[in-house]
Amino acid sequence: MDWLFEFPEMSREGLRDLKKGIDEAFQAFGREYGEGIEGFFDPLLAFLVWFEKLMLATPWPLMIIILAALVYAGARSWAMVIGTVLVLLLAGYLGMWEDTMRTLSIISVATIICIVIGIPLGIIMSKSDRLQSVVTPALDFMQTVPSFVYLIPIVMLLGIGRVPGLIAVCIYAIPPVVRLTNLGIRLVDQDVLEAADAFGASPTQKMLTVQLPLALPNIFAGINQTIMMALAMVVVAALIGVQGLGSEVLKAVNNQYLALGMFNGAAILAIAIVFDRVSQKFGKRLQKHSEVLHG
Amino acid sequence: MKKLLASMAIAAASMGFGTAALAECGEIKMAEFNWASGELMANVDKIILEEGYGCDIELVIGGTTAIFASMNEKGSPEIAGEQWVNALRPVLDPALEEGRIIAVNEAPITGLGEGWWITPNTVEANPELKTVLDWIERPDLFPSAEDPSKGAFVGCPAGWGCQHNNISLFEAFDMAEKGWVLIDPGSAAGLDGSIAKASERGENWFGYYWSPTSIVGKYNLQPIPFGVPFAGADNWDNCIAVEGCPNPQPTAWVQSEVYTLVTAEFAEGNDDINEYLAARVYPGEVMGSMLVFMAEEQADGEDAAYEFLATYEEVWTQWVPADIAEKVKAAL
Repeated sequence: MDWLFEFPEMSREGLRDLKKGIDEAFQAFGREYGEGIEGFFDPLLAFLVWFEKLMLATPWPLMIIILAALVYAGARSWAMVIGTVLVLLLAGYLGMWEDTMRTLSIISVATIICIVIGIPLGIIMSKSDRLQSVVTPALDFMQTVPSFVYLIPIVMLLGIGRVPGLIAVCIYAIPPVVRLTNLGIRLVDQDVLEAADAFGASPTQKMLTVQLPLALPNIFAGINQTIMMALAMVVVAALIGVQGLGSEVLKAVNNQYLALGMFNGAAILAIAIVFDRVSQKFGKRLQKHSEVLHG
Repeated sequence: MKKLLASMAIAAASMGFGTAALAECGEIKMAEFNWASGELMANVDKIILEEGYGCDIELVIGGTTAIFASMNEKGSPEIAGEQWVNALRPVLDPALEEGRIIAVNEAPITGLGEGWWITPNTVEANPELKTVLDWIERPDLFPSAEDPSKGAFVGCPAGWGCQHNNISLFEAFDMAEKGWVLIDPGSAAGLDGSIAKASERGENWFGYYWSPTSIVGKYNLQPIPFGVPFAGADNWDNCIAVEGCPNPQPTAWVQSEVYTLVTAEFAEGNDDINEYLAARVYPGEVMGSMLVFMAEEQADGEDAAYEFLATYEEVWTQWVPADIAEKVKAAL
């Protein structure tokens, strides 16, 4: 009856050889293609470095004015603008200006990349059931698998620093915008689509003037979630050498620096709240605008 | 109701008696440091103490500062096998003086140390560069990914005890002026990954590491002598090891010390275990070969501990009395 209680597992040697085999295959792949893959991301790296340097080199009062203007352009709310300015002043006063700028720069770039890749992918997905059946499990995987699992191959391929950090952030943060774009377009009322067909709209016209505008609430919910998830990855990205508020949090965790951890955590939270409110208000405003147009 | 209470009391009493009779040394919390040699040592200690001395060991995973803070403040875990003490001196020395913490073994591994290392093929290709003083003149050999005009020196992850040491030495050797950037690898995985990636691709790598480790063994990293003498404990303790010291002096890396620490409470009444911990010294080359084994076979601390006990019987049987050695051997 032993077999009932002993799980028929692989022999230790077999298991070890399997693990070694996978590792060696990946190492061979890295040796062969690693440099090429790294080269492919060079323009992105140059942009990331340039953007961060730009944000750090901009005089702080100018930076606050620019950010306040962006918040106003997005949210059209003076309360939001005042809140943002106060948060930035406080973060700077507590010695976190540079780290806040570093985090803002990588999160902004990550969000833009996620949106630029995510929305078109969501649109194509909504057109093809077959693609949806392939992409959906992949998105599940990206959201569920612990990020530490893919950090190892990313570091082996691309080393440490901003690009691997950005990729790790995007793997985790891109699913909501893809999912909700797809969902939003699929949820558009059939009757409306028939009406568009009746007026002789081409598929492109239908997508741009009917489906996308009607899917906007969902798409914006997706973008909002993507931003939040990107911010949640700040500390994980710091594990592979992305400087910013995240690395200060790591430092605090490693040393039980309570106050340092709370300050930097609060700064990440403040950035998250600003991003969240601004993107939500911006989304609402866009929908009002289109309602007026169509009404 | 009274009957129930009485029977519960008897049950409780007999249970208490039972455990007391079974375990000679009782339940012990032991630190398992979160690096390979720390895992190995913790698991070897666990097997020997459980099988040989009848203890019940619970391993607590953590890093240098977290484990020490917990031992010092809470008296738990009771044993820390491979505590690297250099960075802890300011808090450790008072604790040792007051007798809250006892160092039962002041050299559990021989031939270890921290320092600056370079990939072996780089060292081979540049035989004229011998010390750190020579190497820091050549940032062009180690181009940084983010700014190829500068040399990348990979320091210590944020928050580790060694972070300030590397920042200060970077400054003491004027490396910024010589065209270097100090890279923060973020974590152990980041630091190891950067070495693995560079070694696999045949790229040059220059940075901080320590020995004995699987990475040093596996990739045959070469320690680089600093080319300057150790400039005294005062410079090291009060300047190099502190954040933001204004005027650090160039110096060789301080001699690293590793202790096995126990709490005062544990030290009393566990003489046999203390004797074992004091006798337990891993020769450097044995530890080195075990770490390469762990890396190559992807063995965790427990697997490696059994491998060590099977392979290096002549080493560990010296640590314990013969009857205990027999008990442990019987359990393997």
